[in-house]
Amino acid sequence: MSYARLNSLLIVMIVTVALIWLAIPFTMAILWSLVDPAEPWTADKLLPPVMSFYRWVDMWENSSLKYALISSYSLAPTAAILGLCLAMPTAFALGRFNFAGRELAKLLCLLPLVVPPFITAIFFSALLFQLGLNTWRFGAIVFAHSILFLPYAIRILTVSFENVRQDHIDAARDLGASPWARFRVAYLPALKPGISATLLIVFIQSIEEFAIAFIIGSPDIVTIPTLLYSALGQDFVRPNAAVLSLILVVPNVFLMLILERLMRSANPALSSGKG
Amino acid sequence: MAAIGIRNLSKSFDGFQALSKFSLDVQQGEFLTLLGPSGCGKTTLLKIISGFLEPSTGSISIGGEDITHVPPESRDTALCFQSYALFPHLNVLQNLEFGLKQKRVSRDQRDARVSEVAAKLGLETQLSKLPNQLSGGQQQRVSLGRALVMRPSVILFDEPLSNLDAKLRDQVRVEIRRIQQDYSLTAIYVTHDQSEALAMSDRIVVLNDGKIVQVDTPEQLYAQPKTRFVADFIGGANLITGRVCSQTKENLTSVETLMGQIQTSHRINKSSENVELCWRPERAQIGKGPYCGTIVHRAFQGQFTDLILEENDMIFRIQTNNDRFRVGEVITFSILPDDVVVLEADG
Repeated sequence: MSYARLNSLLIVMIVTVALIWLAIPFTMAILWSLVDPAEPWTADKLLPPVMSFYRWVDMWENSSLKYALISSYSLAPTAAILGLCLAMPTAFALGRFNFAGRELAKLLCLLPLVVPPFITAIFFSALLFQLGLNTWRFGAIVFAHSILFLPYAIRILTVSFENVRQDHIDAARDLGASPWARFRVAYLPALKPGISATLLIVFIQSIEEFAIAFIIGSPDIVTIPTLLYSALGQDFVRPNAAVLSLILVVPNVFLMLILERLMRSANPALSSGKG
Repeated sequence: MAAIGIRNLSKSFDGFQALSKFSLDVQQGEFLTLLGPSGCGKTTLLKIISGFLEPSTGSISIGGEDITHVPPESRDTALCFQSYALFPHLNVLQNLEFGLKQKRVSRDQRDARVSEVAAKLGLETQLSKLPNQLSGGQQQRVSLGRALVMRPSVILFDEPLSNLDAKLRDQVRVEIRRIQQDYSLTAIYVTHDQSEALAMSDRIVVLNDGKIVQVDTPEQLYAQPKTRFVADFIGGANLITGRVCSQTKENLTSVETLMGQIQTSHRINKSSENVELCWRPERAQIGKGPYCGTIVHRAFQGQFTDLILEENDMIFRIQTNNDRFRVGEVITFSILPDDVVVLEADG
């Protein structure tokens, strides 16, 4: 088989998988969110018999969706910024210093990710209760989210710190730059993509996180995932869940697209001359 | 007063002695080159002078002022990096004035200095470009300009031409030397390229294993290498050992070698019996002479031809501007006593 044929075959396969993986669930979610309560969508019909925005209007007016949106979109950026601040020193140490066991330390930083999120959530919230941090629920969730997603933040920022060129730091120093000026001219340009990526990843993870928000937040704080779980778990109203899923997912898709652009954009600190 | 005074400088890393008891004076306006193979300590010395490394022992002064423990940002030196180290997100103009801004030089002064240096280096039309839009040679010039605008007492070069191609290297080294002379800058230049060192320097310091082997002008270093290491490292050299057999009149000494008797006009320590001699390949005079060899390899180099000769299981090299010689021919040649240098033992 020629390479060209193999190539086109692989492309067809990838497109098919992507369609099954992404397009079908999305289409189903959109269709379910448009089902009018006047006539249910039964299994014998390909499309909902009557479609309207009733569910959207209903959810907006009669559920805690507005409140959930506010709390989700204030928790996530706060957790992202706090996570970034907490990850910086560790990433700096892992990225800039050579010490025995550095690779092991990098691996250990990633280890929390292998524990199922619900388990971490239960034990982490127990810890917050013990520390007495559960009384200010918003703060407790922010703190928990920024800690839980630290492995991502540390990993991304470590790579960014490794990309900072020592000769740029030295050149800035040689030209009389203060520590702050050195950070701005030598570190920051190389760190920028990593900082943006960290903020976005923690933001997206925090927006989607259920377990901690549920265990610590309820009943005072409702986030979109906890609202979604209640729509699915207690009431099992599939059209309502479809509305919530789309509200949860669509902004994230755009954010992921931004993230992809950021990661792909040329890092000016690494570019070299034409030679 | 010397521009730079280095006294008994030593530096060791985890038991490895990178520099040992290094002392040197550099005069104001002098272009001094540190030359040596990889790992000889030349870059370590440059880093100590620029302040990025602290010596284990010893001291260093600039203009009579002890700067051994002064951090790099407070030293009156400017370093040109091998990698150029231009800030990639700043354009040429911003790169050039970065140091001046750090030193809070007034805007008028800054503009004046930058435009003067940009004119000198032919960078006026490149000021708004980012470093990655420049060629290697242009980046090198920006790096030099960024150091020059600081008007440092001492300018330091860390193998600045090693990333350029051969032709550009020749051009930029002439430029660096011209600018150094125009500004009367005291310059310390690190390289492992002997032709660069010979072409640019007022004096060359040859380093090996963290120690000075010889400090001399390029001409002296080439004509009178002190040791086998220097002779071998700088230019091509034919090295041969022999036994002193007689001292003739006119201060000539005969040395018995595998090539036959070689006469040298250089002084030989009376007590030594065995000596090592060195002669440069281009000094051999082909034609009549006491020595002969069979050509086993010939390499035409343009302005001269390299011939590798074999005789008595010995290999030696001759350079001639006659390109008619072919492999297999036997040629005879002579060497003038003045061109035969007696080497000291290494170490």
